[in-house]
Amino acid sequence: MTDTMLHVAGLNAGYGAVQVLHDIAFDVARGGVTTLIGANGAGKTTIMKVLAGLLAPMSGTVTFDGADLLRLASHDRVNGGVSLIPEGRMVFPGMSVEQNLRLGAIAPAARAGHDEALQDVFRRFPKLKERRAQLAGLLSGGEQQMLALGRGLMARPRLILMDEPTLGLAPVMVKQVFATIAELRAAGFTILLAEQNATVALELADRAYLLENGRIVQAGTGPELLGSDDVRRAYLGM
Amino acid sequence: MDTLLSGQLLFAALVSGSLYALVALGLNLVYGTLRLLNIAHGDLVMIGAYTAFGAFSLFHLPPVISVFLAAAVCAGLGWAVYEGLFRRLLANPTLAKRVEANSLILFYGISVILQNVVAMTFTASSRGYQYLDTVITWGGVSMTGNRLLTLIVASAVCFGTLLFLRHTLFGWSLRAVIERREAAQVVGVNLNRVQLITICAGFAAAGVAGTLVSMTEQITPFMGFPFTIVAFVVIIVGGLGNIGAGVLAGFCLGLVETYGIALTSPGYRSILIYGLFVAVLLIRPEGVFSKAVRS
Ligand SMILES: Nc1ncnc2c1ncn2[C@@H]1O[C@H](COP(=O)(O)OP(=O)(O)OP(=O)(O)O)[C@@H](O)[C@H]1O
Ligand SMILES: [Mg+2]
Repeated sequence: MTDTMLHVAGLNAGYGAVQVLHDIAFDVARGGVTTLIGANGAGKTTIMKVLAGLLAPMSGTVTFDGADLLRLASHDRVNGGVSLIPEGRMVFPGMSVEQNLRLGAIAPAARAGHDEALQDVFRRFPKLKERRAQLAGLLSGGEQQMLALGRGLMARPRLILMDEPTLGLAPVMVKQVFATIAELRAAGFTILLAEQNATVALELADRAYLLENGRIVQAGTGPELLGSDDVRRAYLGM
Repeated sequence: MDTLLSGQLLFAALVSGSLYALVALGLNLVYGTLRLLNIAHGDLVMIGAYTAFGAFSLFHLPPVISVFLAAAVCAGLGWAVYEGLFRRLLANPTLAKRVEANSLILFYGISVILQNVVAMTFTASSRGYQYLDTVITWGGVSMTGNRLLTLIVASAVCFGTLLFLRHTLFGWSLRAVIERREAAQVVGVNLNRVQLITICAGFAAAGVAGTLVSMTEQITPFMGFPFTIVAFVVIIVGGLGNIGAGVLAGFCLGLVETYGIALTSPGYRSILIYGLFVAVLLIRPEGVFSKAVRS
């Protein structure tokens, strides 16, 4: 029996009058990696925005551990244990690495364990410790991604939403990001990962959904989707 | 030449500089966090001035006490404007996109209302009162107590605010909203709360400035506009939304104005202020003191 942490059903969303997501439904099981794969413009970021409370959907339900997530404001979702690592990293460029991280723990629920969480992030990403006093805007792309990950972890999330964490990174950094994701899963975090890097994402995924033009067109385990002809043709170039 | 090097002139420059810094501080906070162009900002200075004047003439309350009243009145206006108007406009993404341009018109309306309400209550004639206006001489510099008080209070509020932004978690979250609004939401900053507190604080700063002005100058219901202009010059010179640089730019404007007039004549005041403004727009449109750190 898998235990569902996040349940999404009948989700429609868009920007202004333009509908982007159509009747999206998927589940995220506790303690694993669930991945959303899809081409540019498929709607991955839009789903993440709805889940994080940055975009109000047109209709649909989202429950997190049985509670209605859509009724909560974005900061209450963070406080409740849902943390987004946004596409494009979105660090605070004019603030130091350490300030960025400490801001990650601004949710009341995370504030108490704040110093401990910081040490944990520094252990995971020693580079950030070295650079703790440096302005975040001066970090390299890979370092900024580490910072975005660390900042998300500072909130002590139960569910981590990662939107294309490997976007624009060099192959060696991509490897490192996936290694980090595997570590986080081993540490018991639940992760929803949106990726264009389909092969690696599917190898890692316990469960995967294929998104096309705002619709979920296939679902299965990672290996199942890896073996699917559609996926191979469309995303893996095979 | 002697006058140029005198402590007298420096004192005068610091007094007006600190006042400009304080007026601009409030405008910059509101622009930085809410992206609202508050052209009624100078009218809040006027409201603060009339609050202090009213408290003095009706209840014999000295400005050192009425300054808190003025801050509270303006903060209350900030609350009303946010809850009544902007909360909903900013929460709706489509409306929020246009709110910066629309805020100009909305605040113009607020400006007209404030001026007329005060003109109807106090009449349009100029008002004033005397407080700490005896001259004291200190280290060879002659000054009135009220100007010294202006310098002390305005500087204390400015630098206190900067320390607050630098060293408190709330200050950091405010800076996070200024730098990247959406990212601030992502980390769990309560946007609504930060916006409300900031608009109240920004308006209150104008109220404090107005109280200080009322001690040394005649006040009228229409005194606000020049303060609005000066505040915009200061925050554009410093860099929009860059709070520390705005404070520095306020003091610089005071220095440029005072020393410029001493070198030329009072008739050149506007030319100096607008000249500095245009020069900055041409040479460094992002602001003189802004650090170019963007990821
Ligand atoms: N702010 C916006 N306003 C209007 N349309 C948008 C906006 N953001 C995205 N869209 C549109 O919504 C659709 C889905 O975009 P989304 O960003 O969710 O895709 P994605 O799967 O994350 O793509 P990518 O892999 O490029 O990040 C696209 O057609 C895009 O043009
Ligand atoms: Mg995307």
